[in-house]
Amino acid sequence: MEYLPEFTLHRPTTIEDALAHADEGGRYLAGGTDLLVNTRRGIERPGAMVDLALVGELGGIEDTDKGGLRLGAGVRLEDIAGDARLGARYPAVAEAAAAVAGPTHRRAGTLGGNLCLDTRCLYYNQSEWWRSSNDFCLKHQGTVCHVAPKGSRCFAAYSGDVAPALLVSGAEVEIAGAEGRRRAPLGELWRDDGLDHLTLASGDLVVAVHLPAPIADLASGYEKARVRGSIDFPLAGVALSLALDDGVIHHLALALTGVNPSPRLVTGTEALIGNRLDDEAILALRDLARTQARPMRTTTIKPWYRRRVVGALTTRLARRLGA
Amino acid sequence: MSVAESLPNSATIGVPQPLVDGPEKVTGRAKFSADFQAADQCLGRVLRSPHAHARILSIDTSAAEAMAGVDAVVTGADVAASYGVLPIAMNEYAIARDRVRYRGEPVAAVAACDAQTAEAALRAIRVEYEVLPAQFHAADSLRDGAAVLHEEKPDNVERRVDFELGDVDAGFAEADLVLEREFFNAEVCQVQMEPHATFAEWDGEREELTVHTCTQVPFYVHLMLARTLEMEKSRIRVVKPHIGGGFGCRTETLNVELIAALLARKAGGTVRLISNREETFITHRGRPETTTKLKMGLAKDGRITAVVCETLQRGGAYSGYGIVTILYAGSLLYGLYTLPAVRYLGQRVLTNTPPCGAFRGHGTVNTRFAFESLLDELAAGLDLDPFAVRRANLLTAPTMTENDLLVNSYGLDECLDWAERASGWRERKGTLGPGRGLGMACSHYVSGASKPKHWTGEPHATVNLKLDFDGSITLLTGAAEIGQGSSTVLAQCAAETLGVDMSRIRVVASDSRLTPKDNGSYSSRVTYMVGNAAIDAAENLKAVLIEAAARKLEATPEEIECLGESFRRGSQDQGLSFEQATAAALEGTGTLTVKGVFETRPESWGGKKYRGAAIGGTMAFSYAAQVVEVAVDADTGEIEVVKVWVAHDCGRALNPLAVEGQVQGSVWMGLGQAMTEETRFHDGLPITANMLDYRVPTILDSPPIEVGIVEARDPYGPFGAKEAGEGSLSGFLPALTAAVADALGVRADALPLTPERLLELLEDAPKRRRH
Repeated sequence: MEYLPEFTLHRPTTIEDALAHADEGGRYLAGGTDLLVNTRRGIERPGAMVDLALVGELGGIEDTDKGGLRLGAGVRLEDIAGDARLGARYPAVAEAAAAVAGPTHRRAGTLGGNLCLDTRCLYYNQSEWWRSSNDFCLKHQGTVCHVAPKGSRCFAAYSGDVAPALLVSGAEVEIAGAEGRRRAPLGELWRDDGLDHLTLASGDLVVAVHLPAPIADLASGYEKARVRGSIDFPLAGVALSLALDDGVIHHLALALTGVNPSPRLVTGTEALIGNRLDDEAILALRDLARTQARPMRTTTIKPWYRRRVVGALTTRLARRLGA
Repeated sequence: MSVAESLPNSATIGVPQPLVDGPEKVTGRAKFSADFQAADQCLGRVLRSPHAHARILSIDTSAAEAMAGVDAVVTGADVAASYGVLPIAMNEYAIARDRVRYRGEPVAAVAACDAQTAEAALRAIRVEYEVLPAQFHAADSLRDGAAVLHEEKPDNVERRVDFELGDVDAGFAEADLVLEREFFNAEVCQVQMEPHATFAEWDGEREELTVHTCTQVPFYVHLMLARTLEMEKSRIRVVKPHIGGGFGCRTETLNVELIAALLARKAGGTVRLISNREETFITHRGRPETTTKLKMGLAKDGRITAVVCETLQRGGAYSGYGIVTILYAGSLLYGLYTLPAVRYLGQRVLTNTPPCGAFRGHGTVNTRFAFESLLDELAAGLDLDPFAVRRANLLTAPTMTENDLLVNSYGLDECLDWAERASGWRERKGTLGPGRGLGMACSHYVSGASKPKHWTGEPHATVNLKLDFDGSITLLTGAAEIGQGSSTVLAQCAAETLGVDMSRIRVVASDSRLTPKDNGSYSSRVTYMVGNAAIDAAENLKAVLIEAAARKLEATPEEIECLGESFRRGSQDQGLSFEQATAAALEGTGTLTVKGVFETRPESWGGKKYRGAAIGGTMAFSYAAQVVEVAVDADTGEIEVVKVWVAHDCGRALNPLAVEGQVQGSVWMGLGQAMTEETRFHDGLPITANMLDYRVPTILDSPPIEVGIVEARDPYGPFGAKEAGEGSLSGFLPALTAAVADALGVRADALPLTPERLLELLEDAPKRRRH
């Protein structure tokens, strides 16, 4: 480990105070399993950090009066993985939280931190010495993307597990900022740019995620490709929610992570509504997933494999949920 | 029946014993090298080369030296001499002089009052380089026109080994099936839990140096400190505190250990130098990237008729252990089976990557993967059972192999029986259903190298036992306890020989000011060699005690019955307690220190049939056979290892608890190499030098490993013991790929077999020559 540079640590108890510290240039610290590692590596150099652990409003998983759930952004991933309501109504979300890294990361890591996770790349998540020896990169301090040297885009991959599970569950995100509170479909939190993948304005704070009441017979799940059973970020992650009426698809949502600069709902799935969930439909779903996954050489595992496994996981999930 | 006869035959040997240093480790009281602190210490940091190959034109350290809080800056100019573990291949400098040959090689170092200052000082050092062409794979270094790394090796070949024993051509002519394949093993790193750490104290008044460091070989570190700092050995003290593993990467002196000492002397004080994980990866000394071209002939009755093995190793930028590694890779083709004819061509090549070293299973692992894999395929080709093929090639001990390796004890047949029975091989093979499979393989390893690298004429091992007025026995040994249980096994050997309770013996290990010199913990030498020295010392002490008791009891020594904790003259005699016998022994002489030694037998020194044939010579081989069961998902390429059954012949199992742990650890390290681990480079930059991208298996990836201990006792081993900590490693690799072949019908000849590689293999399967 490289040494942790000095910074001022704020520990506000209210959202208003947190916003004020951020306004002065502080970085939100929501668990720190990513931010502290990146700070040690010199990727982040915050003069101040705003630890959100004591902000009460960010905690808690609560039932809403409409039969949905409100997940505070400060809820620990471990608590999401173990929540019985989520397990029953939105199993994909609980499964995805349980798939994050290892037990100690899930104990420290939070929902908001996971959603706002920085994008990742082999050429970026390295030490200062390493990156300087490689002329840095487009994402940080450099001018060339080592993944696609001729391009001018950053392809660092978004690698949070929970996002796709929330996306297929119809989640909305609640954000606090200088302009007050706002709610938006969760998918609007990200854009397809590894350099700047969050749409949040400076100082904006993710406060909560709202899940609607699940429709009848909704099944959902999350599958993650990784080399090891623990610790690893997803080489590819697939979330699927599905409702069948007598074998006929009447709801379907598929989302991917780890294979693009942002998590995303797969488009074109509506064409399968009204079909039976047979081999043909599953094949069509698999192909949709494969074509919309654009993994690049951001990990040691080849893009070829990651695209292939996105299809295999989609098939596995569809079979599991449709059984 | 006398009391003595009613006592258990063995109080400590063969009985599961918790490790003697366990309480310190589990309570956190144990001090590791990084735990040493001094009020006035400086922190050391190393400036590393950004280039894979470059001439150093100039280094300007003046700005760094002028900074407040900077106590010392050292460069290659401060280094007196080259160093290296093999006296014939010392071509490395603690800090690069004139040239850097891999990315991350140290070019300067600073000692400063804190980490921030040290970092700032590193940034203030100006180095001017002239970048040179570089090669990152062995084949590239062998090409015409390749840049030369070391002028004395103009072809970039560190060592070429070439031998032929027996009539290879006649062997192939006799075979019913001959196959030739090329195998690939990625480079792997030990990734021991503890990153490198050295605490160096310079005593300016006395011009003496004390170094606490995480090494497996304190003696070699001592020699290299003296050489690098141009100091008298008598002015150096090397202490090895508790250590978080080594697995071979610490069996030679590391540059960071020398740099810490150079900084301490220049700063005139104490320097704490802790490598981070990336630096620990870069310091490396792992197992080389290896290509093994293997050709083998098999007769219908299962006999191996001939073998041709061509091994190409990417050694890295400096020699390290390289010559030994490439020799082992050939010589230890032998020792496991009867091999009538073998031709070996080994090449160890210099490349612009971090130097490789002596990883657990040194030299044997990649060769064994190739050998067992091809044997398995040959067996399938002749419709022979994999167990039957191994049984058709067993050695009969005692024997000498074709390359003159001594085999005095041989439990491979029993290992095969156990693994076959425990895994249910006969009933279950072929019946597991789709995606599941069983595979098996065998392996072996030496119990210490019989010829020491540094020939001094001294015995291989020396142990001192000190007995004082309090009746406690202090066992003084240079053997490095590295978590493998060496201190425990030495206490057992001494306690058993004396017949005393183990708690009477305290082990003091690895402090050059107190303990007798020992070559260190490598090539599984400690139990065999130092264990024998401990027995010898204990026998000598016992004789002294018996003689003293005889004097006291007015008897002859022959009349004295030693019950360990008491001595008496006949069963009716009250006798002497141990304390009384001790007092008697100290009368007229004072505190007693006795010595025990061990020397290898000349017939174990290996042969002379080719240059380097002595490498491989050992007093005893361990043997292992294992069965691996897998469940494979052909859609994702994921392999689940369901279970491993492994039998290991360690001779007499002195501490069955430790043996089981060592065997499981070996199999598990084999699993990492076989399935997930791989050091990779981007233009020579180590791209996997962290715990996320270098994928050591997690506990979720670790299968149950059932261990069967086989005890083919060795005539010269301590109580009949042999090696237990390495021999089971290499067998896992080919057993895994055999199991995958059984499950899916494709044979992997490149490792690690990640999901990506397996899927690649499956998708290419129809196009491939096999299946």
